[in-house]
Amino acid sequence: MTCAQTHLHKVELETKDYKTDAKPFWCPGCGDHGVLTSMYRALAEIGVDPNYLVNISGIGCSSRLPYFVRSYKMHTLHGRAGPVATGVQLARPDLAILVNGGDGDGFSIGGGHMPHLARKNINMTYVLMDNRIYGLTKGQVSPTSQRQLKAYTTPYGGVEEPMDPILYMLTYGASFVAQTLATNVKMTAQLIKDGMEHRGFSFISVLSQCPTFNVIDDAKSFKSSAEELQENHDVSDIDAAMHAVNMAHKKGRVPIGLLFRQERSTLDERMAALVEQVGGHPDYDLRKIIDLSRP
Amino acid sequence: MTKDDLIIRIAGEGGEGIISTGDFITQACARTGLEVYTFKTFPAEIKGGYAMYQSRVSTTRLYNQGDTFDILCAFNGEAYDLNRHRLFPGTAFVYDGPGGDFEPDIPEGVYAYPIPMTKTAKELGNPKSKNMVALGALSQLFGIPEQALREILSAKFGKKGTTVVEGNLNAFARGRELAAALSKTDPWELSTTSQKRDVVVLSGNDAIGLGALIAGLDFFSAYPITPATEIARYVARHLPKRGGTLIQAEDEIASAGQVVGASFAGKKAMTATSGPGLALMGEMLGMSFMSETPCVIVDVQRGGPSTGLPTKHEQSDLFLAIHGSHGDSGRIVLSVEDVADCISLTVEAFNLAEKYQCPVLLLSEGSLAFSTQTVSYPDPASFKLVSRKRWDGEGEYRRYAITDDFISPMAAPGTPGGMHIATGLEHDESGNPNYTAANHEAMQAKRFCKLDSVVKEFAPVEIDGEGEADLGIIAWGSTIGVVREAIARLRADGVSVKGFYPKLLWPMPVEQYEAFGATCRKVMVPEVNFQGQLAHFIRAETTLRPLSYTICGGLPFTPTMIVAKVKEILK
Repeated sequence: MTCAQTHLHKVELETKDYKTDAKPFWCPGCGDHGVLTSMYRALAEIGVDPNYLVNISGIGCSSRLPYFVRSYKMHTLHGRAGPVATGVQLARPDLAILVNGGDGDGFSIGGGHMPHLARKNINMTYVLMDNRIYGLTKGQVSPTSQRQLKAYTTPYGGVEEPMDPILYMLTYGASFVAQTLATNVKMTAQLIKDGMEHRGFSFISVLSQCPTFNVIDDAKSFKSSAEELQENHDVSDIDAAMHAVNMAHKKGRVPIGLLFRQERSTLDERMAALVEQVGGHPDYDLRKIIDLSRP
Repeated sequence: MTKDDLIIRIAGEGGEGIISTGDFITQACARTGLEVYTFKTFPAEIKGGYAMYQSRVSTTRLYNQGDTFDILCAFNGEAYDLNRHRLFPGTAFVYDGPGGDFEPDIPEGVYAYPIPMTKTAKELGNPKSKNMVALGALSQLFGIPEQALREILSAKFGKKGTTVVEGNLNAFARGRELAAALSKTDPWELSTTSQKRDVVVLSGNDAIGLGALIAGLDFFSAYPITPATEIARYVARHLPKRGGTLIQAEDEIASAGQVVGASFAGKKAMTATSGPGLALMGEMLGMSFMSETPCVIVDVQRGGPSTGLPTKHEQSDLFLAIHGSHGDSGRIVLSVEDVADCISLTVEAFNLAEKYQCPVLLLSEGSLAFSTQTVSYPDPASFKLVSRKRWDGEGEYRRYAITDDFISPMAAPGTPGGMHIATGLEHDESGNPNYTAANHEAMQAKRFCKLDSVVKEFAPVEIDGEGEADLGIIAWGSTIGVVREAIARLRADGVSVKGFYPKLLWPMPVEQYEAFGATCRKVMVPEVNFQGQLAHFIRAETTLRPLSYTICGGLPFTPTMIVAKVKEILK
């Protein structure tokens, strides 16, 4: 069952119509190229009107992506794409909101915002581009780095345990949670499309290799550790989603596919209902409010 | 004898109805046409602790909370202990006794009225009506309009049913009887007036909320913090009626980010916080300036540094407000003197943000946040509103086009052909990243030069007095109201003084400062912070060399303090 994002402004465009003149600045072999390709494809398949699309990012290699997508866009601060996108979405529920960013941006410096995007069910699609390292600052361990990773500030190997973003997002109450590989353009494009058509907060984790700094998580190892969800996986069952992630972890693997999807009201819908409940409208006579303060 | 400037202080334990009693007095006085300026202190803790509410009442306009009280009403021993040093000869003192928790020593010349508040409330079977007994006694003794009070009490408790209304009115009447049985020895009696100015009674925080609604607020986001949260409460109650959106964010970083996002989307957006929250917003202020996204940020200052004195008064965020962000970053900073300013300057803050596409900070202060004052009815139609310059859709759109006035037209999402990026990276006129020396210098100049005209269009300063003076006083925020009264008293004593009251603190109207300084033999800057923050900027930006007079005890100045300091300087 699809939950169509009925508000999306539709046009008929081809993937090339979503490209800008700016040339992606990522290294050759970087997974982010694949994410961008998938994104173009998803946007074209849905037919999102670029004039009504806002692509928002934080800071990091992957956060440069909006420069390459024809749309309105905001390149914000490190970790703050989520709150800024929340402001845009609540102010203008008629817009399609696409957020993207890296593992450090979303789950280290911006980690405090993720629970609230999810539980409030802000109507946006958040594409995590997880390369398990800080690339733009030349290779430090991130919250998703595997412990044995020797990097810039961990010359003897890391000492911290990694976190799994999808497990957190399931726990935080995201209404759409999926995971895919940057090298699997078909699946990634499909999940981004599904996520954008989902009404509510959709979270898509894309394992996106960094060939320059992450020496242990390359395209090959991501692929070999990936495990597609079982045919009969029930996407409406949160326990099944949690179980699938945990079972994969036990085998040292990562699940890919749509883990969980739930239909529930979004924050902008609940706010619109509140306005309706109080009979609110922009022409409401201010004097009625001021009169309440007469002695 | 009536006194046309009477100050009534009610003090006791938080939770005993101190604040509501003060509010009833304030409302009753305002209803009968009197001017009121109130002042409150309350503990940082939720239960218990010392609470105080002071109402200054007059037939003429009031500018501050006054020096001290003429009438003290003490609900308990702590209230007595904390205020006994101010029981000067001539003061009227109403206290809970017999049957209270203390036995006061009545100083020579103090008019004492024991009213058994606790005991009477208990006898009436309603211990919580202690404050009503006190209110009745005060009303009887000092002429606080009885009819108005009865109407207000009936309306206030009406929702809780007739039994509650009756119970409170009963205790109120009993308080009046108890006071009537005492012989009145003091000379204090409230003035009456036949004038009826069309007024509202608002706290500073509520007035900021109202100002925002008048300005056309669409989107509000904030995180709870003392002493700013009442702004969110007011907006939460009324913004949905106007179809607007309010969100409580997970922290102040998020609320500032949401405001920038909503503004990018084409809406008038604001947040309200106190110093600790503003500190967290610093990075986003830089983003607002760099991406030229309008936003309004209210900072209701409290005692700092760090967690500091959360419920106390201070004017200590000026450094942070003017320069609090990394890199070379600009903004506009306004500060309010009183509740009337809280309305009009909030509207002005939105107008400036819309026009100049930058962050505008509005500074208020702890004591003003909760001070309720009578204010002329603000007719929404009387305010001029400004909206951002919009792109006309002609030709190729460049978001950061360098124009004659350096202000670039904006295009909100959904505008065909207006696609662009709002970015914190240095960029060229089209928004593309560009780190060349020539571009960075040109774009920084663009962003700062547009602010040059702020001082020209916005009447930033009021000058109190003409010609030359022995001493000029430069004050900001609520200290202005204290200085106004001090200057009036000093002039009456034949002292040659002038006042300079800037409401626009940044950019600084340097020419006005210089012109004022040229007419004064000496200049003094009183402010409620340790370092003398405005004095610092005056020394940095002008040729004036002011004397700094600072206090930081968690309370505002009084007119007497300013008068004494001026006399000391001119001795």
